[in-house]
Amino acid sequence: MIELIEKIEGEAKLNFSFAGEEIDFVDIEFMTARNIEKILEGKSALDALVINPRVCGICGHAHLIATVKALEDCYENIEISKKAEIIRELTLTFELIQNHFKWFYLTMRPLFGKKQEVLKATYPTQLMAKAIAVFGGQYPHTSYAIVGGVVCDITEIDIIKIKHYIEETIKFFETNLVQADTKDFLVCDNVDKVLKKNGDLPDILREIKKKKYLDHGKSYDRFIAFGENSYFTKGKSHKTITTHNISIDYVKEQDNLNSLAKNVTYKDKYYEVGPLARAMINKVPLVKDSHRRYGDNIFSRIIARVCEIPQLLNHSKELLEKLDLSEPSYIEPNIDISQINASGESAVEAARGSLIHKVELENGIIKNYEIITPTQWNLGNGTRENLGVSQQAMVGLKDVKTAELVFKTFDVCSVCTTH
Amino acid sequence: MLWLSSIACNGNTHSFLNYPFMEQFLNDFEFIYHPVIDSNYSLKEIVSETIACDIMLIEGTISDDFKRADVLVVDIIKKYAKIVKKIVTVGTCATFGGIFKESDYENATGLHFDRNKPIDSFKNLLDKTISVSGCPVHPETLVNTLYAIKKSVDLQLDNFLRPKEFYAYTVHNGCTRNEYFEYKVDNHKYGELEGCMFYDHGCQAPFTHASCNKTLWNEVNSKTRAGMPCVGCTEPTFPKENLFNTKKNMGIPQDLPIGVGKRTYLTLAGITKAFTIDRLEKKLFDD
Ligand code: SF4
Ligand code: SF4
Repeated sequence: MIELIEKIEGEAKLNFSFAGEEIDFVDIEFMTARNIEKILEGKSALDALVINPRVCGICGHAHLIATVKALEDCYENIEISKKAEIIRELTLTFELIQNHFKWFYLTMRPLFGKKQEVLKATYPTQLMAKAIAVFGGQYPHTSYAIVGGVVCDITEIDIIKIKHYIEETIKFFETNLVQADTKDFLVCDNVDKVLKKNGDLPDILREIKKKKYLDHGKSYDRFIAFGENSYFTKGKSHKTITTHNISIDYVKEQDNLNSLAKNVTYKDKYYEVGPLARAMINKVPLVKDSHRRYGDNIFSRIIARVCEIPQLLNHSKELLEKLDLSEPSYIEPNIDISQINASGESAVEAARGSLIHKVELENGIIKNYEIITPTQWNLGNGTRENLGVSQQAMVGLKDVKTAELVFKTFDVCSVCTTH
Repeated sequence: MLWLSSIACNGNTHSFLNYPFMEQFLNDFEFIYHPVIDSNYSLKEIVSETIACDIMLIEGTISDDFKRADVLVVDIIKKYAKIVKKIVTVGTCATFGGIFKESDYENATGLHFDRNKPIDSFKNLLDKTISVSGCPVHPETLVNTLYAIKKSVDLQLDNFLRPKEFYAYTVHNGCTRNEYFEYKVDNHKYGELEGCMFYDHGCQAPFTHASCNKTLWNEVNSKTRAGMPCVGCTEPTFPKENLFNTKKNMGIPQDLPIGVGKRTYLTLAGITKAFTIDRLEKKLFDD
């Protein structure tokens, strides 16, 4: 039985096969790809800063930051000021936050039979977009991060503005998502406390319990995150064991027979990436509690994504405090990029999980470019013997509607998956 | 309205979601289909039936072999073109081909233009089409065009079917660095408030039609104000190559501000070079 899944930044086909009452396999097909990697070949290195945000309209900024870091990795020595690093991290953080709001209000809640509330999605995401625009000139599709730093020079007045956007977004979260003081909420380590609160998040979580969905969406309980910054830790986690010693070298991309999305594995195993993975590796108390009770199910996946919003808002306030405006925003690299013959790679945490870019330069011209997106990890199309992460999460369910819900808890993005 | 997405990154969709008066907009307009916003019809219904609507919005590069819900996008366009009053090509991909013209699809172009070359395939729809280019389109440009259509305002269009209201300007118009441009103070360094990016860093604003510095992005800023060169994303030539460099012939930028000839430019440059304006040589906040 084939279902067309739409409104996922494009579309996908899920071909369900049943054994008796239960789904025993789902073939995930992404039908369109734009081959950005090929478009990049032969172009000047810096042009990638303009092209790559166009991999995706909703998380293009993550692609920009991954691009600039991969290009900088081609240098033996390159100096980036602390200030530029903080500014890049801030804008990336703001993008993650806007993604989470959009996912929750535009995608998730309607799947629980609630009316789609466009304004609740757009109000906070516009605030976050404004905050990015103060640094980057606009959102989406700026290329304000360049090799050597960032193009903007901000003032104390800009910082005041950005603080207001953050505070206003926190207020929105507290009045709509979880009616609680964010400060208390951040240290909360008990799911029951959240379930007793009012707000659009507890509303959905209670619904999951009421509908007896708690065993839905379990996968391998295997998580990975490569993007490291001042908030996220790199590492992997399996059940309760976490290790931090991982390397991109073991990441493998494989062509897929049925789908234009390539599968991705780490040491030949599928891993889940995204907010739940990050929370497991970062040991976020509330998410750990959810995982201890219910495992890697849809409940944990939803709570992890939404709870990342206040964490990141709070963290971005701390980052702003650390900005030293007297530092330069940009330090000109000692070698012009047109003279660089080298390869570089980068990993950043995008809204949906780890995003990896790899580039090979010959005299500053792109010889090869490789992009591995978070959705490739989660939505890979494995075989019956070796199911991908979301396939595993859908197997055993009894109807395609619930399977679609489970599928979408991974925050599907078709354009990223195939790029 | 029908929002149809062809070969795209969905950047226009998300740019549109930044329109500040969304509540009013959604009260005044209704989507029979949108790639993100809930609508009464599914994509399957859109492609298999013909649902009544007034405006078709097309996002993304158009190609003969690209499908949505198993139906060729060109066929969906042909079907709805017959019943709608207006067609809006949203963004540079749908208007000129844009970045995804370079992907593997066959005959990938905009609806009426292949870069700046007019094409024949949808010629019969020329009278119906308004183009709002940009990668992505500015949300206010899009929404205000839609209001103009709704109110039957007779919009004046340029040669690329773009409303002059937004595209008669150049991005250069309103940039906070204008004085540096005028006096040829080209010592721009990234990460600084000072200096113009036309002379060395590839800023295309003086020959790019758009109102980025008039109607600010996200209501707060523009690329060039922030310190990033305009990459000319509203033009048929987008994306050019070597974007962060100004191409020059014998020291003169290859592309000059619209309407300025080489000779005039040289004369002008000669005069402005005679000025040394202390205020513009210093940092903005220095005494
Ligand atoms: S930076 Fe660009 S937009 Fe600004 S004044 Fe110079 S040429 Fe014009
Ligand atoms: S400033 Fe230039 S590149 Fe940026 S959005 Fe405007 S036209 Fe496009």
